Amino acid sequence: MAESSAEITFKNETVSKLLSSFFKEEKTKVGADAVILMAEMLHVFVQEAAQRTIKQAEAEDCDRLDIEHFEKILPQLLLDF
Amino acid sequence: MLSTTSCLANVNCREKMPTAMDEEERKLQRLKAAVHYTVGRLCQSIGEDHQKEFSRQVIAAIAETTFRQCDIFAKDLEAFARHAKRSTVSVEDVKLTARRSTALSNFIQRKSEEIASANQEQRDTRKKIAGKRKNKDTEMV
Repeated sequence: MAESSAEITFKNETVSKLLSSFFKEEKTKVGADAVILMAEMLHVFVQEAAQRTIKQAEAEDCDRLDIEHFEKILPQLLLDF
Repeated sequence: MLSTTSCLANVNCREKMPTAMDEEERKLQRLKAAVHYTVGRLCQSIGEDHQKEFSRQVIAAIAETTFRQCDIFAKDLEAFARHAKRSTVSVEDVKLTARRSTALSNFIQRKSEEIASANQEQRDTRKKIAGKRKNKDTEMV
């Protein structure tokens, strides 16, 4: 795939339905601009997860990305968000 | 405790209830799959940039984490909106969820400004088109 990672985004409809499914109250809705912005947040979240995993593997001199690399960066990732 | 008049209603209710929960479960699975799909594509793209490959296990883990993070975001967003006595989550609520990291905060701020200016451009374009139509109508003699 020659797409740059900047072009791959979450669909607004997916984000909207996703957030709605976790709301405790039925009447809670998400504004259109808020949906777009949350899609950006999720995009950054995934990018950070991916890039930090890569950095961890590189720091350990590993060619393959293993679950251990992700597990090591996970705590800080969650704290940063 | 159940009156005879509500008996029929309850029978219908019992028939509906399992299906309603199944539908919820199916919906959640579809959403998880959608998240997994985009996460997979993103990871593949980022991996290519660094000449590294993400294993399916790692992609699945990132997807699951992202899905769970959405739950946290959603609950926060709902709480912020409620605190402001609104039932619709706004851009301001989203900005609050980005408060923990300065870099993230700034990024989200910039993005919200981009969105706002894009909206303004759309409104200006629509006004122009509406204006042109008006002139055309008055010119037709």
